[in-house]
Amino acid sequence: MFRKAFLLILATVLVSGCATQTRYVDPAADDGPVSMSLDYRDFERAATEAVEDMLASGAVDNPDGGRYILVVSRITNDTMQRIDTDQLIKKIRVSLLRSGKVVTTTAVGLNGAEDEMSMRARELRDSEEFDQSGVQRKGTLQAPDLSLSGKLIQRNHKVGREQQVEYYIQLTVTELGTGLAFWEGETPIIKRGSDKSVSW
Amino acid sequence: MITRVILLALLSLVLSGCATQPPRSELYDREELSVDPEVQFGLVVTELFQERLRQPSGNSLLQVAFAVEGRADTRFGWKVTWFNASGMEVPGVGKGYREARVLPGQHRYFKATAPHPSVDSFQLHLREMR
Repeated sequence: MFRKAFLLILATVLVSGCATQTRYVDPAADDGPVSMSLDYRDFERAATEAVEDMLASGAVDNPDGGRYILVVSRITNDTMQRIDTDQLIKKIRVSLLRSGKVVTTTAVGLNGAEDEMSMRARELRDSEEFDQSGVQRKGTLQAPDLSLSGKLIQRNHKVGREQQVEYYIQLTVTELGTGLAFWEGETPIIKRGSDKSVSW
Repeated sequence: MITRVILLALLSLVLSGCATQPPRSELYDREELSVDPEVQFGLVVTELFQERLRQPSGNSLLQVAFAVEGRADTRFGWKVTWFNASGMEVPGVGKGYREARVLPGQHRYFKATAPHPSVDSFQLHLREMR
């Protein structure tokens, strides 16, 4: 009886010791292993390089003072992964907003407004149910000055017994008045690892 | 006469003691360059520059550039933390370290641009990547 109990406790201790503990990852101090697919560190690196280069170039600094209005255009995901491109674009938007140089409009978009409430709120105009002093007036929405578009590309190669995955994050800022690309950037992210690991 | 002078001086001292002191912010000198000892075996920071980039609107952004020379094949991480004139941190785009590799005898040059015109100072940290 005593021996059985002892074995049971020993088995419990061993099993619990083998289990991988779930833990929080601090993005400011993450030395964790690298995967072949794109992870948050890659998006952070691409966003940092893009924003710093945009700011340093002066392309997003309005010479008349005030902030430029940016609209997010098409960001094409041409990788084998299912990626929400907002993971990258949101970081860029947040940083540009914090820089005090650019503000993003959510009232216009290629597939409709990002936030439809800007237009819906205007449908309250002339409604007798609403205090009209708080309803948005005509001609108050701001048209964008700049457009952000881009593409995420993936290329896979076999290098000896290893696999090389190349990602290219390409971004363009177009000045909508002239249609000229005021800023362009490309961040290559190259990973080499086991041929058995998958990158999708 | 002497008693009067002493009393006047005493009164002045008492009154000045009661006066509201202006708020003070303790400013500690931060080192602009911080290199972990583990990295110092593999590389040496040979240059560290800073300049303010003029912007079309008239304001300016702080830009930092540094160079390293490799003594051995070394993987390292670098990160610049930005501060405003009061010494408060100004958040950048990312929180993580940017990974880089330097080969023996290789010179590499890096630069970073401040996220906001209010950035006044910085700290560059180099650490070993495991």
